[in-house]
Amino acid sequence: MSVNMSTNKDLDQIRAAAQQLHGAISDAAAKRGGAIKADLEAVGQKAKSVTDSVQASIGAQNEATKKRMQEALADLEAVQKHAAEALKNSGQAFQASIRQTLADARASVQKVSEAVAAKRSAESTKTRK
Amino acid sequence: MRNYIAVIFNDNGKAYKGLHALWELDGYGDITVHGTTVVHRDDWGQFQVDTKETHPALATAVGVGVGALLGALAGPAGAAVGAAGGAAIGAGTGGVVGLTTDLVRADTREEARDETAFVLGAGQSAVIADVSEDSTLPIDTRMRELGGIVRRRSWTTLHDDAWFGSTYLYPYEYVPPAYY
Repeated sequence: MSVNMSTNKDLDQIRAAAQQLHGAISDAAAKRGGAIKADLEAVGQKAKSVTDSVQASIGAQNEATKKRMQEALADLEAVQKHAAEALKNSGQAFQASIRQTLADARASVQKVSEAVAAKRSAESTKTRK
Repeated sequence: MRNYIAVIFNDNGKAYKGLHALWELDGYGDITVHGTTVVHRDDWGQFQVDTKETHPALATAVGVGVGALLGALAGPAGAAVGAAGGAAIGAGTGGVVGLTTDLVRADTREEARDETAFVLGAGQSAVIADVSEDSTLPIDTRMRELGGIVRRRSWTTLHDDAWFGSTYLYPYEYVPPAYY
């Protein structure tokens, strides 16, 4: 029981971190010039941190949850890639990279959120039995 | 089961209380919320969706995406209206959504148990959300306490219609600064 509670808490924390990542990118997208570049560097580091947390937690999950987290991993890696591209780009290519980074971050939160739902549903089923 | 819900309130303040209550239910583990937004319809019938996207392209995309979702909550005919109205939502010029029901499909597809057409009247606000729920009771009970009316459509059915994704809903509780 304590193991399940612990992994649920881990997942909740990972989701909170992914939500913060999306918020940070969304806030950065509203800025202009040098300010956005500085924010993007921080976004890349934060995305790496969330990616590491997902990787560390994935082994303890059930199959349905694991599948969602693996999908989240791909999205988080895409966040890092597109944030890095945005730092190098300018003009329309820069805007496109920002939009893609935001979309990747949204997709990663969605997958982690689905992992949370899968985990909660599995726990709820076990409790009913 | 996974559903899109629209919770209709008679004023903005209650809609934000409803939004907060939804995320609280998630925090307790009663449901899982994947995304939310709040939509307002003013006394002249114009729609406004909460967004913090200041970039014109992103703001317009949010309007189009949420407009399509509103239309889809109303049924297939509404989806077409919603997609068209979505641009108007983003541009702040209004649109007409939520006019139809989906009675034929309700008979032939897996649907949420109390699936009903979504209609937002002038002066009303609605919390739109993508949720996973094992029972409809937690949301129904809490929203009723707050004066909200809950409408549901099955996530699976709406995604079959392929008009939209839920990517324009905020994956966390977002309240515009003006409403704090």
